[in-house]
Amino acid sequence: MKIFVDRVKCQNHGQCAISAPTNFELDDNGELRYQEAFDEENTGDIEDAADSCPLQAITLKS
Amino acid sequence: MPPVADRRPHIAVVGSGIAGLRAADALLKREVDARIVVFGDEPHRTYNRPGLTKKRYPLSDALESTIAEDVRVKGAENDAVTWRLGTGVRSADLSGRTLRLSTGETFEYDALVIAAGVRPRTAFGDGGECALHTHRTLRGLGDARYVHQRLQASEKVTITGAGFVACELASLAKEYGCEVLMLEALRRGPFESLLGERLATALGRRLVQHGITFLTGDSARELLCAAEPSHAEPPPDRSLSDQSLSDRSLFIEAIGSVPNVEWLDGNGLDLSDGVRVDAYMRVSPWDNVFAAGDVARYPDPWTAGSLTRREFWKNAIDTGDLAGRSLASSLGYGSVTSPIGYFPSMSTEVLGLRIQIAGDPRASDAMEVVCGDPDEPEQGVLVAYLREGTAVGAAYLDKGARYNSAYIKLLRSLRER
Repeated sequence: MKIFVDRVKCQNHGQCAISAPTNFELDDNGELRYQEAFDEENTGDIEDAADSCPLQAITLKS
Repeated sequence: MPPVADRRPHIAVVGSGIAGLRAADALLKREVDARIVVFGDEPHRTYNRPGLTKKRYPLSDALESTIAEDVRVKGAENDAVTWRLGTGVRSADLSGRTLRLSTGETFEYDALVIAAGVRPRTAFGDGGECALHTHRTLRGLGDARYVHQRLQASEKVTITGAGFVACELASLAKEYGCEVLMLEALRRGPFESLLGERLATALGRRLVQHGITFLTGDSARELLCAAEPSHAEPPPDRSLSDQSLSDRSLFIEAIGSVPNVEWLDGNGLDLSDGVRVDAYMRVSPWDNVFAAGDVARYPDPWTAGSLTRREFWKNAIDTGDLAGRSLASSLGYGSVTSPIGYFPSMSTEVLGLRIQIAGDPRASDAMEVVCGDPDEPEQGVLVAYLREGTAVGAAYLDKGARYNSAYIKLLRSLRER
């Protein structure tokens, strides 16, 4: 599974960076940066990040 | 040969929002052998409600379907789930395990999930008119379609309230090029009950800097006006009157919400503020009734001895999922070991400023500035909210994200306290 962020929907609210700081962060300008690949042990946090997004911009794709 | 009776238990989910969807999904995930029926007042499948006020849409004859497609949330795609959309539940008899529907039918259930949500509170009535205004609120997709359509005309709009919906609407109206008047009679600025006076006042100044007329106190109160009760009956189809409304400007009330619980009257439940549940979303004393989402009032995992009811997207997801798992467990599918642990964390963007709030600032007795200047939120400000010297909440406002890692660190210490 890989993380996919819909950049059109994303408004950089940063909720994902709270749920899963291993894969999501806001840079100094407030823009989202993320890593597609994640370790299985972090799956719970990544799913939490996808759920937390108020724009529902994050999906997990295999 | 006579048809074989369907002996699977019938599970009714009242509410087609995200809490109801997640409850249904949790049942499917546990492969509960049941027939699940989801009832929803609106004609639409589950959608991302926060998304209704987050961005502009182009002019279109099919605006409602454009928005619906954009905010659609997938899930519960399974033959075991029947969606009864446009069908409300008018009353429930919990001892008789029966729902009475808006169509006049009855529905007998074996287990029930209450995810009926909330509706906008109004002081002046929804859907009426006065000499100057068309009065509206915003909750559903139909409301959103109407409001976007009116804002697209770049006309004058009046918004009462200064909470999440009010501020996002004001921001959106400004983007559409509207003249925006905001009226907040009770507070001095946006989110004051959460953020405190100093930050609220700074946010109020910022609205004014962005060309919004923001009035508080008596000057706001003087301009509040009521829809005249001239319409004995609301128009059957609001869209019919859309074209004729341009002589009256839009007046939107966004002053909070009311839980949808009246249909549960007469069952002896505690409905004083939503539906009282335990930490597993069970509605005592019924072992086959559960509640989730905006309507569920549960033991606050972060403040011993008090109850909480939250109206946030992630809360609806977490409580919906837990209600579904608890229901599955009651039918013998798996067990539920941990109670609700939702940590309040919310965010919004108002006129380009990101506002993140977490924990329970409402419970605090003092605010402490961690980084930045509360009077200059655009430069970034991180504050902690304390009760008797212990941090119980935090807020971070910024255009960029200079202090984001400090905010996340602060949240971690809040969650682990």
